Amino acid sequence: MKSTKAPRVLVIIPAYNEENSIAAVIHDIHRHVPSADIVVINDGSRDLTEQYAVRAGARVLTLPYNVGIGGGMQTGYIYAKRMDYDIAIQMDADGQHPAEELPKLISKAVSYDLVIGSRYLETTSFRSSVMRRIGMVFFSGLVSLVTGQRFTDTTSGFRAAGRKVIELYADYYPIDYPEVESIVYLKRKGCQIAEVSTEMRLRQAGKSSITPLKSAYYMIKVTLAVLMSAIRYDRTAVSKP
Amino acid sequence: MTIYVLSVVLAALFLLIVLELVRRQKLKEQYSLLWILFSVTLLIVSFNVHFIEWISDRLGVKYAPAILFLFGLLFCFAIILHLTIVITRLSSQVLRLTQELTILKEREAPRGQNN
Repeated sequence: MKSTKAPRVLVIIPAYNEENSIAAVIHDIHRHVPSADIVVINDGSRDLTEQYAVRAGARVLTLPYNVGIGGGMQTGYIYAKRMDYDIAIQMDADGQHPAEELPKLISKAVSYDLVIGSRYLETTSFRSSVMRRIGMVFFSGLVSLVTGQRFTDTTSGFRAAGRKVIELYADYYPIDYPEVESIVYLKRKGCQIAEVSTEMRLRQAGKSSITPLKSAYYMIKVTLAVLMSAIRYDRTAVSKP
Repeated sequence: MTIYVLSVVLAALFLLIVLELVRRQKLKEQYSLLWILFSVTLLIVSFNVHFIEWISDRLGVKYAPAILFLFGLLFCFAIILHLTIVITRLSSQVLRLTQELTILKEREAPRGQNN
């Protein structure tokens, strides 16, 4: 970005039944990055997520039914593409991504296609369970192997995307458990990706949806998806709008 | 009635049903092609008892009509696979439509708090 103008930034927050935390997340962003626009992707919530988000001053896109995290996130990227944003940031609605780390992501996103906020790049205060840790190490190893670049936190959903990635994600984005595969997809498209160390909090509200059966599905599905994207030359087969 | 006669009758009946569904536009031509191919193949194969016996002989199958079942089963797999491919395409299209609709809806709505 050569222009002297500050980049136009859109923060995308997918939310499914997050009425307890959504307003706080939006206020947090307003406080730390007042210039950023915020769009909440309300993925068919059955609670007051939409009303609370509107009242907190965000734009809200309400999907008519629950399309899942990938479809919701992609809606945000399509929106960012249409509205010509320079940088799109994805952030969780449950409050685990602190807005004070946003300037760090934004400043780095000017020179990279994608910037990932990592919990493990440096020692941060973030702690998680042993099983979770094993999964993270496995995926980091897998992605590093496939892409030839070392990643420490492939499952982080705290990311900033530049114009090129906004367009690529508007074209294709994995439907469920998208974080890991979406990195490999970008590397195959020749994108420059960087990680920055960010603090993360434990979720402020809501509970993790992960059960043992889902974890098994998660591991297998994501591994298959990563291996498939690694041997896929071009993923333009998905019909363009 | 031998299994071969039964097989001919069923295949012919099946072919007629598929053609009738297409005529009534209950089944699209593109999706009927696999079914037509299937029933015609089954018809031809059932008529040729010698062909069936020859194949089962080569494959070492003791009970020749089992070859008919094998054909039928393989065709079912092919059709189910075809269906899941269609579903995959349909679900991407539905998702894309949903996303477009959602974005259009927000643009249409009067901007209250926004901007």
